[in-house]
Amino acid sequence: MPDALSFSVFPGLITQPMAVFRALSKNAPEGHRVFFQLILPLCLIPPVLAYVGGATFGWRLGGGEPLMMPARSLTLISLAYFFALIFGLVSSAAVSSWMAITYGAKRAFGTHLALAGMVAAPVILASAAHLAPHVFINMLILIPALIWSLYLLYRGLPEALGIPPERGMLMASALVGYLLVALVSLLGITVVLWSGGIGPAIGV
Amino acid sequence: MNAVDLHRKLERNSGLLIFGILLVSAIGGLVQVLPSVLQDDLVTPGPSTAPYGPVELTGRDLYIREGCSTCHSQQVRPLLAEVKRYGPYSKAGESAYDRPFLWGSKRTGPDLHRIGGKYTDLWQRMHLLDPRSLVPDSIMPGYPWLAERAADADGSIQSKMRALRRLGHPYTDADIEAAPAALAGLREVDALVAYLQALRAPDREASP
Amino acid sequence: MAGERYHDRVVAWLTAFAVAWSILGMLAGVYVAAELVWPTIDFGREWLSYGRLRTLHTNGVIFGFGVSALMGTAFYSVQRTCHVPLFAPRLAWFCALAWQVGVLAGGISLLAGWNGGKEYAELEWPFDIAIAVVWVCFAIVFFGTIGKRRIKPIYVSNWFYGGLIIVIAMLHIVNSLAMPVTLSKSYSLFAGAQDAIVQWWYGHNAVGFLLTGGFLGMLYYFLPKHAGRPIWSYRLSIVAFWAFTYSYIWAGPHHLHYNAVPEWVQSLGMVMSLVLLAPSWATLVNGVMTVAGAWEKLRTDPALKFIVLSLAFYGLATFEGPMMSIKSVNVVSHFTDWTIGHVHSGALGWNAMITFGAFYFLVPRLVGASLYSVRLANIHFWLALAGTMLYVLAMWGAGVSQGLLWLSLDEIGELSFSFKDIMASMAPYYALRFVAGLIFLSGALLMAFNLAMTGKGRRTVAASPPAAESSRS
Repeated sequence: MPDALSFSVFPGLITQPMAVFRALSKNAPEGHRVFFQLILPLCLIPPVLAYVGGATFGWRLGGGEPLMMPARSLTLISLAYFFALIFGLVSSAAVSSWMAITYGAKRAFGTHLALAGMVAAPVILASAAHLAPHVFINMLILIPALIWSLYLLYRGLPEALGIPPERGMLMASALVGYLLVALVSLLGITVVLWSGGIGPAIGV
Repeated sequence: MNAVDLHRKLERNSGLLIFGILLVSAIGGLVQVLPSVLQDDLVTPGPSTAPYGPVELTGRDLYIREGCSTCHSQQVRPLLAEVKRYGPYSKAGESAYDRPFLWGSKRTGPDLHRIGGKYTDLWQRMHLLDPRSLVPDSIMPGYPWLAERAADADGSIQSKMRALRRLGHPYTDADIEAAPAALAGLREVDALVAYLQALRAPDREASP
Repeated sequence: MAGERYHDRVVAWLTAFAVAWSILGMLAGVYVAAELVWPTIDFGREWLSYGRLRTLHTNGVIFGFGVSALMGTAFYSVQRTCHVPLFAPRLAWFCALAWQVGVLAGGISLLAGWNGGKEYAELEWPFDIAIAVVWVCFAIVFFGTIGKRRIKPIYVSNWFYGGLIIVIAMLHIVNSLAMPVTLSKSYSLFAGAQDAIVQWWYGHNAVGFLLTGGFLGMLYYFLPKHAGRPIWSYRLSIVAFWAFTYSYIWAGPHHLHYNAVPEWVQSLGMVMSLVLLAPSWATLVNGVMTVAGAWEKLRTDPALKFIVLSLAFYGLATFEGPMMSIKSVNVVSHFTDWTIGHVHSGALGWNAMITFGAFYFLVPRLVGASLYSVRLANIHFWLALAGTMLYVLAMWGAGVSQGLLWLSLDEIGELSFSFKDIMASMAPYYALRFVAGLIFLSGALLMAFNLAMTGKGRRTVAASPPAAESSRS
């Protein structure tokens, strides 16, 4: 297993995921290294792909003609997307760290951050779907990726944090609760920002 | 006595607990609902709002029976895009005679509060009996049975109007007398179409 | 008292009815979901028409499944938290059976087109009266049992069940006030904007005290039982209960944002909906911390998994609700499928899941046998989770798309899309939602089979209260 956390772990996440997580539990990677070598590169992928897809084909939310947004809007949206992803992964790791004591999983922050990144990797890589910018196609591709990510969460978290599977199940469920709340907040914030001016005009 | 001691008393006395729950849960309703119920201008009819005639009333009751409110709202919100799409936004006075209110909570289909006059009677009739004959992509169910039954099959229109009069709708004895004749020979679909065509914006008032 | 027995057979019957209604109610739900994809599968028959079947679905799951489950678990838990058998057990049987007859007859009436026209209160006035009568009997049995309790302090689950009984009575009676015309038709006492305010005072608090409060009673009893440890914080449960009972009532007008009701009513509804987040999550914290200490039970107890995930969805739903009450979110979400998604994250993720967890715990104990198949229960768990998440994601996608597209204006300020086109583009989301419903229903069918096999050929075990002692504080 490479010592530095990088994209080289990704094949392992598909072929032998539990080995990857067990290796994580043996190392204690430093937070800033995980952030710059894993998190930052990961979070760049979806916004860039969304920009390319949106600029080339235009986004289809569902109705007739695709929405061709001006470059300024696309850039703003991609930037917001990037920061939302960073915030999502870092905050998940922070929440995970904070919860860890309750479940007997006290570990370095870097471990939690690496765990967050590895669990999120399938969904983030599946954002290749943004190149075909139709909301429904994206859902169709991202949902199986999400299922894989959740599988990694439930099976991988106890391995990575060195706790029994049952405690891992509880902690993973608590994280799922946090993720659901974060996701719906993202919906709400997106809607509020959109009706405030980021994105195509809406007549409120 | 601090809060925890007060609660120790409450949880040892079922009568106090029941009373406490009733009191605490009643407050919100007393502040929010009661004033609205006592506030007459909320149900003062707008200048052009009139009680439903017998045919329209029958049609409205069919609208309720078939669950149309499940998919169609009747409440245009004061939002730019909504006013553009549907027409003038809905005001309280327009629903003064709506028992029950039919503002709806879901738009699987479009809002209908300003649908009156937008389509011909024939279009509405054909659309109700088989929506896909006019709108191929429509997911609205068809209501072919409406064409088969008499509008006032159970002969209840006069009882209905009398009941509404007891609730304050200004129907005269003459109105009620004439009601069965107005419905004679009509099918349910005719009554429903009449109701839909009655859903119009009131004439322009001085202030919105 | 020697020879005293808990009255558990009525609990067993209510559980069986609840399971049956869950299947029937969800079947109706799956059918109407299919109708939104293939609208001609009503075959021109009124009783299969969407408008009527949908009310069958909502009434079947709320009043059939939900109330039966609440009544059954209330009767089970009140006896055990008071250490006395039920007060007036024959009245309890009357409640249980009369309720089933009412739901069945009510369901048939809905298919026949008897409809009062108000959501979750569609049943016409004869049923309204019947509901009130049975509800009073329910109150008598429940509070009567509490009245003759041997443990002085009333346990917290009973406050929530008590709140359910009292508040629903208040809401039902006021909202059902109507002038009858014929047996099948009445007109509401309130009209227009007033009716709207009364209806959503009722409608939101039916959700609040039936679907939330009542099931919190279930949580506060069954979770500590499953976990084998007491609730994490007693003080938190006090604060949570009273703040919950106080704030929930005010939240109704968030169903009426930008509608023709006074501005102050809307704003008050919005603010109190946000305030409501605190007591809701106080209970969430209590639940999570209670179960955190009981992790070893997960190895052997499939039911506990359901309760754990129900907490996560409870957290989601009680967060999403206040968020959607914010006017600037509501302006996009109102009238869309986002609302439906929110309803079902609560109904499937919270209500159904915690009930499933309670039933997997309850039925083996009622019949004195272990669960027929732990493996099936585990499969059910993953089906329930998958179905819920898929449903919610599909409706979020549909709802946010609809809401934004309806409001969308082009460069010259005209509407960008026709309603018709937006509607047509919802088809894939509706298909996904139908699949999600099928998945969830299949899990419930597994449970019905599992529980039936567990109880097959067995009678309810005779259980007794602990030997009488002088009143314990």
